[in-house]
Amino acid sequence: MKEDMRDLMGRALRRSTAEYCEVRIEETEETSVRFRGKDIELVAENVSVGGNVRALYKGGWGFVSFNRLDDLDRKVDEACAQARILGEKLNKEIRLYPVDPVVDRVAGNFKREAFAVPLKEKIKLLEGYNALILGSPEITSSSVYYFDRHTHLHFANSEGTYIYQEKMDVGGALTAIATKDKLTTQESARFGSNQDYEVAVGLEDEVRDAAKAAREMLHAPVVEAGEYTVILDPDMAGLFVHEAFGHLSEADSLDEDERMKELLKIGTRYGSDELDIYDSGVEGPNRGESRYDDEGVPMQKTYLIKGGVVVGHLHSRESAAKMNERPTGNARAINYRFPPIVRMRTTCIAPGKATFDEMLKGISLGVYVRGGYGGQTNGEMFTFAASRAYMIRNGSIAEMVRDVNLTGNVFTTLRNIDMIGNDFQFKNGPGGCGKGGQSPLPVAQGSPHIRIQKVVIGGEKK
Amino acid sequence: MKAVLDEALKRGAEATLISSESRRTEVSFDFNRLKNVEDTESFGLSLQVIKDGKLGMANSTRAGGEEELLEKALSVAEFGSAVSYEFPAPEPHANPRMFYREVTQFQLDDMISLGEELVEFIKTLDPAINGSAGVSRNVIRKTIANTRGLLASWEKTSFFVSAGFQFVEGQNLLQSWDWDASCSVRYDLGRMKAKIKEDFELGRKNVHVEPGVYDVLFTPMGFASIIHPILACLDGRAVMRGISPFKDRIGEEIFAPSFSLIEDGTLDDGLGSQLYDDQGVACRRTPLIDRGVLREYLVDLESARRLGRKPIGTGTASGSRPNNLLVIPGEKPWEDLLRGMKRGIVIDQTMGAWAGNPYTGTVTGNISLGFLVIDGEKVGRVKDCMFSLNVFSHLKSNLLALSRESKNTGQAILPYCLVGGVSIATRTS
Repeated sequence: MKEDMRDLMGRALRRSTAEYCEVRIEETEETSVRFRGKDIELVAENVSVGGNVRALYKGGWGFVSFNRLDDLDRKVDEACAQARILGEKLNKEIRLYPVDPVVDRVAGNFKREAFAVPLKEKIKLLEGYNALILGSPEITSSSVYYFDRHTHLHFANSEGTYIYQEKMDVGGALTAIATKDKLTTQESARFGSNQDYEVAVGLEDEVRDAAKAAREMLHAPVVEAGEYTVILDPDMAGLFVHEAFGHLSEADSLDEDERMKELLKIGTRYGSDELDIYDSGVEGPNRGESRYDDEGVPMQKTYLIKGGVVVGHLHSRESAAKMNERPTGNARAINYRFPPIVRMRTTCIAPGKATFDEMLKGISLGVYVRGGYGGQTNGEMFTFAASRAYMIRNGSIAEMVRDVNLTGNVFTTLRNIDMIGNDFQFKNGPGGCGKGGQSPLPVAQGSPHIRIQKVVIGGEKK
Repeated sequence: MKAVLDEALKRGAEATLISSESRRTEVSFDFNRLKNVEDTESFGLSLQVIKDGKLGMANSTRAGGEEELLEKALSVAEFGSAVSYEFPAPEPHANPRMFYREVTQFQLDDMISLGEELVEFIKTLDPAINGSAGVSRNVIRKTIANTRGLLASWEKTSFFVSAGFQFVEGQNLLQSWDWDASCSVRYDLGRMKAKIKEDFELGRKNVHVEPGVYDVLFTPMGFASIIHPILACLDGRAVMRGISPFKDRIGEEIFAPSFSLIEDGTLDDGLGSQLYDDQGVACRRTPLIDRGVLREYLVDLESARRLGRKPIGTGTASGSRPNNLLVIPGEKPWEDLLRGMKRGIVIDQTMGAWAGNPYTGTVTGNISLGFLVIDGEKVGRVKDCMFSLNVFSHLKSNLLALSRESKNTGQAILPYCLVGGVSIATRTS
């Protein structure tokens, strides 16, 4: 069957009248289950079958996506025709960084296949978590969400590459909701993996901890707005590096903007000697990692900052050629409906030397942030929302506070990281990254605790 | 479709089947030049079955996949949600105008010319600016049928024009964008250009703002970023589960009398308009908040039944989804609201305001594009600061005015909104 697909794609590609042409065919089966409160709200099985063709001619890209696979030849013709319309107008030379053609089949080699676990077993597991949440004191409701996906992905291009990759994605969030006097608070235990269903199993302690935190938050005051020294836990620090520097390093927003290139120029200092930041497709297993990206380029580990200084960028073949750097395997598409663009995989701050106690010392008034709901950046500024936070008073963790949102300027905040912990952890949750209308793309993060001076926290000023 | 529904009945199940086919063409410009053309053909089937009082769902994009779909939906129904409703029998529906032939006839070359005009304008602002634009046309055909005899189809078009820029000056990054979206070919390039020009010229001048409490004029885009807690708490499922603070408050004045929020799936030229929702209930116009008084929740069949409400055409297979939301505009032009501000802030674009717990009503976000206002004039850009307000209490006690102009921000049509007492946190130096 897989060989048939290769022949089919190869035949269609031979019709290409563009300088470069690629075809992607994808089939995904998905299961999703959601409990809300005591009720099961959603049980669904979804099948997504589709493909796309992308063609480049004299600087113009044509892209068509489709669900009906029975006329691939016509789709190649359409994408090439579009590219030629644009190319004739632009008449611009755009090179793709040359990579050796690859023929490869990448079987999943998963640890425990989520898609092979009977639905009954998954529901029983989730029912157990839901009962645990609802049985906790002061917890009034719950949201228990689980998904798994199993994908067969075929990629071929006009340079002779054909790659088949089998992928798995599993994730979920187990959320406890507490309500009292019109105030509702919530906290979740989250999980995700591209390799192993077992990440969903045995989370009872995490669920109890989330329920306890949701309950405590009911009685926690809203944080007072201001500028604080903050300590981010590995989960939040990973989110921070993703938002604060990862997006800025995506070269498709640099490669034709001279001023952005200057800002991210190799050799520019943005942090202390201790700061190393990298993005990797081979750390794992983590969500978002695979052997090849969606242009057929092998994924790798790419340092962005070493010793506080910019040393690299994240690339597609197009951005790599434009900036005369090597492709890094970061061209990714969320699915066949979109062309690949430069995206992160597992983005990390490398471990430093500090212990958590050393970080706390010397903070007379600060905030300790554990986990995040999500974040956003516009390149220059970033923001993220904490899921749990505590005041730090005179070097010790003090009372819990709620509604903690942090913001900062990317460049000054990186310089303001004054301590990096020695307790590195990867974090895989169920969510993902959004860019260019493609969301949520599976990604992961890794970091130790980090300490940052002068972070603005929003909220009421008393 | 009929064969699947008949087979479902034979197997002892009620069923609703939705099929949708769409074609979308988009041209995009980036770095001041034409970048790509995308053409997307989509096909999808969505099946809901109720068997032995339990709901099963399956979706597929595989052409000819109806039998597989039925098998999957029946197999998951065994474990599915217990439901207390039946799929509805056919009922009369409104006929909003949603299909405009001019959209399907709009040529690719004309789409390219539109984008070129916008990018050429942006380029005149500064040689180092990075201008972007997008023009897209979309046509969708949707059919819904159920085992109670409902069979309805409709076509809808949409047309979208956007433009924006990024400008880097030292370590200052300035970004702004604007768009027009409609079911018909309706856009105002003049307004878009004027906004972009003003944002570029004013946005280059950073001004310091002291932390404190300010009057804030949210533009329609800014307003769109703070209303999500209201929608989350109006959701019938959240009310049903007791986590919405709006529970048991129908008839109560929970917002200022000047605030009215309408759900309307029957709007002519409404991007979210349709004949029936995904459960087969005819769409209609329903006041959710009427002059500050809570009148209705966003319900699906299950939450409507459990809350003792009537369905309003906002149901999906697993909850509710508004079609078109409108905040009823005020009387004054937005420029009068601006001119009346002694010292305040205009917030147009935000970051991260969506994050956090919606049930508290607290919205905190970074001001991605905002301007300090002194004596009715925008004097420069405010940066590196966060705004915070509680939309429940602020739109009850601190809502100063709504403008008479509105903008379609996607699925909500919103005016400018002037609110007092918004907390601003910022760097000390």
